[in-house]
Amino acid sequence: MEHARSGPINIRQRPSRVTDFLSGNKVLGLVSVLIGLGVWELAASQFHEIVLPPPSAVLARFFDPDFLSRLLPSLGNSLFAFAVGFGLALLVAIPLGIVLGRSPLLFKMFDPLISAIYAIPPVAFVPFLIIWFGLFFEGRVALIFMMCVFDILVVIVAGARDVSQKLVDVGRSFGASRTQVLRLVVFPAISPFLIASLRVGSARAINGMITAELFFAAVNLGMLMKRSAQAFDTASAMAVVVTICIVGLLAQSAIHRLEDHVLRWQPRRSS
Amino acid sequence: MTRLRRLSLPLIGFAIFIVIWEIAGQILGNALLAPPSSVAQTYVGLLLEGRMLAELFTSLRQMMIGFLLACFIGMPIGVAMGRSRVSDAMFRPWVSMFVVTSTAALIPVLILLLGTGLALRSSVVFLAAVWYIILTTYNGAKGVSPSLIATARSFSASRFQIFWKIILPSIYPYLITGARIGLVHAIRAMVMAEMFVIVGYGGLINRTGLDVDTAALLSLLLTLMIVSLLANWILFQAGRLLAPWYEQRSS
Repeated sequence: MEHARSGPINIRQRPSRVTDFLSGNKVLGLVSVLIGLGVWELAASQFHEIVLPPPSAVLARFFDPDFLSRLLPSLGNSLFAFAVGFGLALLVAIPLGIVLGRSPLLFKMFDPLISAIYAIPPVAFVPFLIIWFGLFFEGRVALIFMMCVFDILVVIVAGARDVSQKLVDVGRSFGASRTQVLRLVVFPAISPFLIASLRVGSARAINGMITAELFFAAVNLGMLMKRSAQAFDTASAMAVVVTICIVGLLAQSAIHRLEDHVLRWQPRRSS
Repeated sequence: MTRLRRLSLPLIGFAIFIVIWEIAGQILGNALLAPPSSVAQTYVGLLLEGRMLAELFTSLRQMMIGFLLACFIGMPIGVAMGRSRVSDAMFRPWVSMFVVTSTAALIPVLILLLGTGLALRSSVVFLAAVWYIILTTYNGAKGVSPSLIATARSFSASRFQIFWKIILPSIYPYLITGARIGLVHAIRAMVMAEMFVIVGYGGLINRTGLDVDTAALLSLLLTLMIVSLLANWILFQAGRLLAPWYEQRSS
């Protein structure tokens, strides 16, 4: 209810973006996490280690050299597949998104088609991708690509459609060529959307990375998880989940930093 | 003229896609990519046989458990986070941790906790949908116009009245959008969990994937697409009926 109490000063709408999620009241958040871990620790004492290991046991895995020597190389290999899939998706989706967004005709023709394909859960493509790309690296990259390409495309199309026609017209009337309009008007205008697409796309691609390792031939982090689960070493399996969570959070905060750097000139706006 | 144009352009887009698919399918053969003509045949066959739809409805019914739980738990949390700074700070780290963690990664751990039955699938659906429902509701609750609330207070409205008459109507469209986004994630999670433990519709996809003929597989994907679009459309129409005053803001 702080809005009402602080009166007219707060009338200006505060930015309400997902990224602002990472910065906030840190102390209360820390307290909340500690309480949560405490409850988990207490709850775990009621169960067997296999069913619900305490957070301390999960944390201990990160100091176990034997586990680390399996975790770190796996993580590296996983991230490599992630980088290839995500990179390919960006290479395809950004130009395609700009073309679709800048041409009203193409947009009207293909937007419903894209939404229709986007509606299919990407995991359902797995058997199909296995037929096409096999069970290994190519298959995993294909799934990572499938999982993030449409999310990136949708954001870029929205961005390219958002470019003010006035700015484009001004550029044109000053004799800017097509490439100059693209480089000097369209690109700066869609840069917030580019960042947003990185944010959405990287989260989806990390999701695809681990999904692929579990659904295709189990390798890397996925195999580490499956092996740990089969050996009833729940704490190790959870340690892998925590690793993935940390990778995701690091990616988000890296993009947040990038955003602050690239979009210095732009006032924060609510989406 | 304009209406005809508006309808004809997407149709041309679909037609181009189907023609390219047909040509590619004819060249590559059914084992690699079944052309639309043979998918259509197989699709009618699958519809008449009835197993596809039976599995689908069972799966969707079971999915609703996780999805409705996600709505009932996620929406109040989202509103609380948007309206109170303390609950915002308390829930925020959890939401941002879980929203970046893929649900797929949780499945092996959840299997150890819950086994491979309905409890597993429901909790996977719940965990996939709830964070997006919370985030959307949060954004809605946070954006409630402070001047409206100030006006209500100056007319001495009680806290309950402010909640009931101002906050709730303002966040209505966000609740529906949250449910829509949550449902998309719920359907994805349903298929993923079912493919993992090979039951229901997801299991059917997995088993069909082993066939040499991709026509049946593509038919299953087509049904999934229709279900997903239909569910989205129903919620959108429900939103228009229930909160017609905010249509443009909710999209």
